[in-house]
Amino acid sequence: MGEAPLLEVDGIRKAFGGVLAVDGASFTVEAGTVTALIGPNGAGKSTAVGIIGGALAADEGRVGFRGDEITGLAPHRIARRGLIRTFQISREYPAMTVLENLMVSPMNQEGEKLATALLAHRRYRKQERELVLKALDVLADFGLYGMRDEYARNLSGGQKRLLELARSVMADPVMLILDEPMAGINPALVSHIGEHILRLREAGVSFLMVEHNLEVVERICDHVIVLAVGRTLARGTMAELRQNEAVVNAYLTGGGVDAGTAR
Amino acid sequence: MGIIVGYIATLGIYFCIYNILSIGLNIQFGYAGILDFTVITFMAIGGYMAGVASLGPEQPGSQIFYILGLSLPWPVALLIGATAAGLLGCAIGLIALRRLRSDYLAIVTLAAGSIIYGLVGNNSKIFDGFEGLVGVPQPFNGVLGLNPNSYALLFLGFAAVVMAVLWVAANRLRNSPLGRAMRATREDLEVAEAYGKNTYKLRMMAMVIGSVYVGVGGVLTIWYVTAMAPAGWGTSETFVVWAALIVGGVGSNGGAVIGSFLVAVLFNEVTRFLPGISSDPSLIPEVRNICIGALVILTLRFRPQGVMPERKARFPELPEASVRQEPAIVAEEV
Ligand SMILES: Nc1ncnc2c1ncn2[C@@H]1O[C@H](COP(=O)(O)OP(=O)(O)O)[C@@H](O)[C@H]1O
Ligand SMILES: [Mg+2]
Repeated sequence: MGEAPLLEVDGIRKAFGGVLAVDGASFTVEAGTVTALIGPNGAGKSTAVGIIGGALAADEGRVGFRGDEITGLAPHRIARRGLIRTFQISREYPAMTVLENLMVSPMNQEGEKLATALLAHRRYRKQERELVLKALDVLADFGLYGMRDEYARNLSGGQKRLLELARSVMADPVMLILDEPMAGINPALVSHIGEHILRLREAGVSFLMVEHNLEVVERICDHVIVLAVGRTLARGTMAELRQNEAVVNAYLTGGGVDAGTAR
Repeated sequence: MGIIVGYIATLGIYFCIYNILSIGLNIQFGYAGILDFTVITFMAIGGYMAGVASLGPEQPGSQIFYILGLSLPWPVALLIGATAAGLLGCAIGLIALRRLRSDYLAIVTLAAGSIIYGLVGNNSKIFDGFEGLVGVPQPFNGVLGLNPNSYALLFLGFAAVVMAVLWVAANRLRNSPLGRAMRATREDLEVAEAYGKNTYKLRMMAMVIGSVYVGVGGVLTIWYVTAMAPAGWGTSETFVVWAALIVGGVGSNGGAVIGSFLVAVLFNEVTRFLPGISSDPSLIPEVRNICIGALVILTLRFRPQGVMPERKARFPELPEASVRQEPAIVAEEV
């Protein structure tokens, strides 16, 4: 692994009023891996994801992606570089159909130019057809094909999680950051989503994944980063971390991990 | 007979104008979720600018003061009115759209409306203050010299053509990937941004395009009425456009058309003929607003999606065989 890491987070810090949500966390994610980000509730995981994705401005520190600094870029610019993040609570476009939810994702669509949209709608028709085909394919992969014409708000909680992944795949990401992609869904679907993640990794997508369920982490993640009170506490494989007293302590004092509850 | 023809033509013209206004608001609010609470200001700016562009230079000693006075032909005046409304939309967007909160936007639009009202009304050198513009030349009328009823018919045709062009453009926008991206910003701004959409630019586009539409509605208004004064652009006019969109169906251009007909034409006019009202014309505006308010409340209570709701996006039909079928995984919540 001589290459530079895909994602480099270096000393990021973020305070909300008096609360230090992230306090100098540093970690890296290697290309081609599924890396877990674990830690007790309130450790600052979601805040870190927000900073990496550009939705939150860090008070200090820097973020690098594919060798370029992306600190302070607008979220859409970061997304266009191939880094897509999801939200802890699934947030579909409720009053749009499932297929339409997917059709939003591809970047730089020809029909997103005003002149083309108004005056030359024939010009984007071919691309639109190709994207529809691709989207239907992705929907079939995720078992949502039958729901394609349903409003996204009518999906069940589990289906919304699948939609979120499907929608992210349509964006052709280099890396996906998933904030608790399995929170609040049944065990069968948890393993199903796990398989999707592994399948996408085989297809070349790298992952950083906030996850509370340590069994899942053990099964699908190559590396684990432990965050506690806003700092990187440890990193390594799950087996290595089991030997790490500080990690065990953080979990025991932090609580709420095995319950799999999410803030 | 001629009177009735003229009256019906006038109703038709108002219908076209309100249509344009509510489609403009639909682009802002229905497509992109922008709470524009000062529709009427864009209409006034469009109308005024077209007015001073088509009026001749101000006459010394007439006590009527206004800027420009360029005697320009109507297509140029239309362009100027539409551009002015678009620029105003851009200026308000620059202030309001950087922030993500939609209530902030509502407040900024309201404030901008009041400021411009005060500025225009109290400054008699721009558009003659509260007196407003009068005697604005009408398109074609100078050449043709028609009687008022025939002119009303001609203008109805003209307004209908303008409306049709704007209607086609609005639908193309709606059905395009650009319209889809705008809808995504309406549904969830932060998520659309996280998926690579430049939400500021998208919302600015919707804001400006919608303002241009409303501005064109204002140009048609000042041409048909030949006059415009601040007293005529109170918040209740904005309310009528909102009512039309809500009753018709937010997000749906067809709904905007139906809403304009129901609210702006039917309710506006029918209230005039209510028994007991016709004898007391000063009551008409109040009763009108009460009726429209009641209609909005009934719509929101019993058919919140509107008479003709936004329809689901349609995609090119593809042969089923081209897609791999897979049994849907049962995805139930815990
Ligand atoms: N927008 C916010 N305003 C104020 N405090 C916040 C905000 N977001 C997060 N916090 C606080 O920051 C800390 C870290 O939160 P978060 O990043 O959500 O943790 P995690 O995702 O690891 O559970 C918590 O104490 C939380 O209350
Ligand atoms: Mg969290």
